[in-house]
Amino acid sequence: MDEIIARSNIYALLSRILLQELDSELLETLKTDLTVLEFFPHWNEWEQRTSVSNSKLLEEYLNPDFTNLSILHLVPYETFYTRSDQMIETGGANPVTDIYSAYDFMVDYEIARVVSADHIGIQYEFMHHLCDAQKKAMEENDSEAVRDLQEVQHRFLNTHLLQWAPMYLINMKYESRTPLYYDAAETALEFILSDNETLTAVVSKVS
Amino acid sequence: MYLESRRTFLKGAAFTVAGAAIAKGVFTTDAAAESVENSKFTNTPDTLSFYPPLDQWDNFQELDGTDWKRGGIGRHGVQSEENPDGIKVNDYMVIPTACSNCEASCGLTAWVDKKTMTVKKYMGNPLHPGSRGRNCAKGYAVQSQMYDPDRIPFPLKRAPGSKRGEGKWIRTTWDEAMTTIGKKMGDTIRKGDELSKKSVMYHVGRPNENGFVPKVWESLGLDSYNSHTNICSANGRTPTIQFVNDDRTSPDWGNAKLIFLNSSHAADAGHYFAQAAAYIADARKKGAKMVVMDPRLSNSAGIADLWLAPWPGTETVIYLHLASRILSDNLVNKAFVKRWFNWDTLMNDSDYLNYMVEKGYVPKLPEGRDFESYLELLKDMYAPYTLEFAVKETHIPAYKLEKLYEMFIWAEDAISTYVWRAAAAGNRGGWMIGKAVFFVTGLRGAIGNVGGTGFYHSHDISVGGKGGSATVGQGKSGADVPAVKAWNELTWPPEWPLTTYELSYLLPHLLSDKEWQKKWNDRGLQVPSKLAVYAPRMYNPVWINPDGFRWIEVLKNEELMELTFNLSPVWSETNWYMDYVLPVGLAGERHDQHSEATIPARWTTFRQPVLRVALEKSGWKPKNPNRATLEAHIKAGLGEVWEENEFWFQLCTDYIDPDGSLNIKKMWESKRHPGKAVTIPEWYDAAFGDNLPKLHETVMNDERYTKEEFPVYSYMRDHGVWLEEDKIYNVQERELKVEEGKIESYEHKYDAGSVSVDSLGIISANDDKGKSKKIGIEIDGKKLQGFTTPTRKLDVYTQWVAKDWKWPEYGMPIYPRNDKEKEDMVHIVSHVNHIYMKEENSFALNTVFRLPYNIHTRSANSKHLMEISQNHDPIWISTGDAKRLSIKRGDAIRVKIVDTVSGLESGHFVAMAVPTEGVLPGTLACSHHGGRWKLTNHVTIPNGVSDGKVAPGAAPRDLSNKEFLKESPANVGKAGGQSIIDDYSGTSGINSFGVPVAEIQMDGKVGKLKYVEGIKGFKAERFAEYNRDSENVWWDGLSGSWQNAVAAPHPDPVSGMHCWHHKVLVELAQPGDKIGDIFVNYDNNLKVYQAWRDKLSRGLDSNSKLRRPRHIFRPWVKLDPASYDVNIKA
Repeated sequence: MDEIIARSNIYALLSRILLQELDSELLETLKTDLTVLEFFPHWNEWEQRTSVSNSKLLEEYLNPDFTNLSILHLVPYETFYTRSDQMIETGGANPVTDIYSAYDFMVDYEIARVVSADHIGIQYEFMHHLCDAQKKAMEENDSEAVRDLQEVQHRFLNTHLLQWAPMYLINMKYESRTPLYYDAAETALEFILSDNETLTAVVSKVS
Repeated sequence: MYLESRRTFLKGAAFTVAGAAIAKGVFTTDAAAESVENSKFTNTPDTLSFYPPLDQWDNFQELDGTDWKRGGIGRHGVQSEENPDGIKVNDYMVIPTACSNCEASCGLTAWVDKKTMTVKKYMGNPLHPGSRGRNCAKGYAVQSQMYDPDRIPFPLKRAPGSKRGEGKWIRTTWDEAMTTIGKKMGDTIRKGDELSKKSVMYHVGRPNENGFVPKVWESLGLDSYNSHTNICSANGRTPTIQFVNDDRTSPDWGNAKLIFLNSSHAADAGHYFAQAAAYIADARKKGAKMVVMDPRLSNSAGIADLWLAPWPGTETVIYLHLASRILSDNLVNKAFVKRWFNWDTLMNDSDYLNYMVEKGYVPKLPEGRDFESYLELLKDMYAPYTLEFAVKETHIPAYKLEKLYEMFIWAEDAISTYVWRAAAAGNRGGWMIGKAVFFVTGLRGAIGNVGGTGFYHSHDISVGGKGGSATVGQGKSGADVPAVKAWNELTWPPEWPLTTYELSYLLPHLLSDKEWQKKWNDRGLQVPSKLAVYAPRMYNPVWINPDGFRWIEVLKNEELMELTFNLSPVWSETNWYMDYVLPVGLAGERHDQHSEATIPARWTTFRQPVLRVALEKSGWKPKNPNRATLEAHIKAGLGEVWEENEFWFQLCTDYIDPDGSLNIKKMWESKRHPGKAVTIPEWYDAAFGDNLPKLHETVMNDERYTKEEFPVYSYMRDHGVWLEEDKIYNVQERELKVEEGKIESYEHKYDAGSVSVDSLGIISANDDKGKSKKIGIEIDGKKLQGFTTPTRKLDVYTQWVAKDWKWPEYGMPIYPRNDKEKEDMVHIVSHVNHIYMKEENSFALNTVFRLPYNIHTRSANSKHLMEISQNHDPIWISTGDAKRLSIKRGDAIRVKIVDTVSGLESGHFVAMAVPTEGVLPGTLACSHHGGRWKLTNHVTIPNGVSDGKVAPGAAPRDLSNKEFLKESPANVGKAGGQSIIDDYSGTSGINSFGVPVAEIQMDGKVGKLKYVEGIKGFKAERFAEYNRDSENVWWDGLSGSWQNAVAAPHPDPVSGMHCWHHKVLVELAQPGDKIGDIFVNYDNNLKVYQAWRDKLSRGLDSNSKLRRPRHIFRPWVKLDPASYDVNIKA
């Protein structure tokens, strides 16, 4: 059970960091939660994390870095990487929307503030929801549903995230100007690769 | 490594804040998601087809386009009660109809929103074999025409006490108009004398229907059906008639290797443009080449493989040069030429061979009379059309002609060509260009074959006038309608016995020309000096024809035209001078059977009033079945807008001949409901069912229709189109069929027992009246249909033109080879040939190109089309010429029109110059489709909204509302039934999106027009939701000129075509001149027409026994054979 809670939490945390600029509440968590800090070693060691006020951290360090990484210089959308013309598919033909719809998920764009459903933050959050669902199935001892959900997670990782997110995350790592986003990129990459190995083992065992 | 990491990641379970609280929560699984789940819609379409399957047309849901484009249902879900912010779902009934905005009759479907009973969009009809679900800008414009805020909402009558043209109007009823018109028509017809048969004139622009109104005129016994056709295409049709006795070409664009366009038509604009262009594109995708011959760089020329810019009217030389090379290079398709050219007729005509030697056409008589000697004769005849001569006469560089020849030979017999507009319509003798085209394509065997050039009559269906079995009196297919016994000299004047279609543009001149009338009356003819009734249909002769001021003079003259009415849905220059303007419907508001030769097949569309059909399919029944379309349009909020079919049915039965004494009533009286006019379903069930056997069989084997009261009508109502026969090639090769004592040729049956064959193989047989007719030709022992010429072959040698009808010079394709011959053969030398350009500022003005967004008169009531075009129509001048005359872009220039026959000046128009490399030096280009005008911005109808008008209904317009379907307006068209018009204040604009305001002055000899106000945005009252952007008008419409009014009529001496091009003198505008100004000496214009008539034509004389060759088709009404006979006093 710990494993599914961990996966769910990590996907949630990473999705939030990758999706939008930080707010003060999240910053506080990132500054103080010791477990979280273990995932972000350079951030943990960064002197300004503690010496600079939260508002200054956000306005002068972190949020400018986020804007640079996800809006100005890099493009965190799957179709940018997978379409030959490098256009973001904002319409109904985006390949992820079908899979979201299949599980009754629909992106609320007013909350997400992205131009398309294939944003990296949305995809990580989708994985978080799948993990949550798996957790629920495990609590209800519905092993069939658990298996199904593991397969879906594995499929989604391989059909979508792993097809392009590594490229974005590597770019993000080298473009980042703050330790937080450097660590976030590295952790996000390492985590999905690791998670895929876990899921592959589970899925192949079942089959 | 990663397994190690995994252990690290397991620590994630120890976050102080749970993931769910950290995540942004961007997903929603609420009503929006459920609405998607519960709907049939998907984020990605299942198919790229625009159209649902036919079985869903009655009930088809589609997401609203605006929101759909912003990301689909993935954003807001589908609209429902639980999810009101979702994308709206339109509940459509898809009703097929056909476009009427050009002559091509592309398929349309009206997407009727059931909840509001409005047409939300017009799309194509995927079942249409020609247009294949596609349309041009004009097709989609039908919706903006339907909801035009200025459309005429009810019948209008010139206010009592006012004069024509004063612009005073009152609202009247259909009944009052029909009573007045019917009585006048009936009283005239009742006289029964010859003049009365010529005095009730109908005048149509493009008919866009096959045979209905002609049948009305036939049943009235009148020879006064008039059409615009001559000004459009007589020079294109005349060579087709001479060569193959057909009406026009029907090229197989889709399978051609060489698309050879003699104009911008087909690929660019004009005849069958949208369908033709699509098939041309298909062919080019397969590797075909396209050549465009046009002195102007049209859109087609711009994308062609080869653009040739010949001097206007010299195109014949290009074709004869090709012929000369094909003959000398021994590349003639001998098998085809020997089989189908009428070489044997020429080689057996010693008189004409001697004539050819005498005239110097050939240096010597042929050695023998065999086929090889014929080819030698042709070689001799066309040898002078050398490359050097062609370059000199046409101004086309030699390398381009070399390239053309190479492409022409490469294409073998897959050459599709078209002779329309440009060269043909612009030039005197333009018909000879067509004759040369056919000759040279025939030399390569590219006639009627796959990829070649076929002809109209084999690719067309004409049954709209053949619903006679539904009536008391017409008989099956109209067999019992008597032939008309009259010949109208106003439409078929004796000076032009070979004219193609009516010389309609001369109508005001002939009515004004008392000398001409007296001349022919003195010689024993009975020429009308006036018209009792003049009835244009959706036609605007004042603006469209040459010499518009002469038209206005005659229309205003109540002695020359006693009663006038225009069946017109929109305002026009002509309507201003009418007694009545009666609004009939546009493309989605009328019934027509309409077929055109756009592919080698026979298809027909069924045009329909789509809102009526939607109502009827929903269960509504009209109170008066004879006025169902009128009731439906009132119910739908369009106003008292009717359709022609029902109007004519009832005019004939109840108003022209109410007591039946003229034998007209029974012609249109319903067999099912005697005493009442025939209804639409009755008529079209018979028209389609009786005359299209494959359609009839298909319907009778389709259980969806067999139980219907009108099965064939119902089938056509649901499909909107029918393909009776596909892949029609080489019809001349079809063998004559003999069955039960009858021999059949071209769907006509003859007495098999009377068949005879003459020495040239021509087969004759007797028709049902015992008259001997040529029906085919025997070749290699087989009895074939052949072509419908007198020789049943291709009449390269047109013996009847040369010997019987006084034009011996033009028996063979020819062009003068030197200046002396140009004088002798002036009839086929363009009146704008370079020999006439003697002044430094003289030019040949090319006027006849169409614009892709243009519908002639009806463009101006479509905001959609005006947005595309802004009515922009400058004059193109080559950069070199502009520099020489110090003309810069945007300059106003005076363009003075000078006649090269009489030497008279017609006046001038002021145009906006645009120097360009896209026009041949020495020529100018300015489309004659510009220069619309009106005299006022608004018209107020004093009794338009008052006097106890009744509401069209109480229930909301909703096709699923039973109360709405139960209602129907009562007494429509009658005094007590006048309808309140939605959002109509009593004042409405006149073509507000496309026509600027002008002042005109005219004194009987001189006319002037000056624009005083351009187009401006305005707030639309009617159809306000549809026209919510009516204030957004950024064009003023002031860059064109009404050049047609300056133009004098130029009747071609053979075809009668008004030759549209002009010799003009160009100078910079003078102080006070504004672009759009015109000055016309229309007194001179009358003299110009007389000069062309008297100096060039070869009319009937005391030796004439016939008005016209009997074998040439005279369109519209069936004439009694005796009408052709004539006796002209010396």
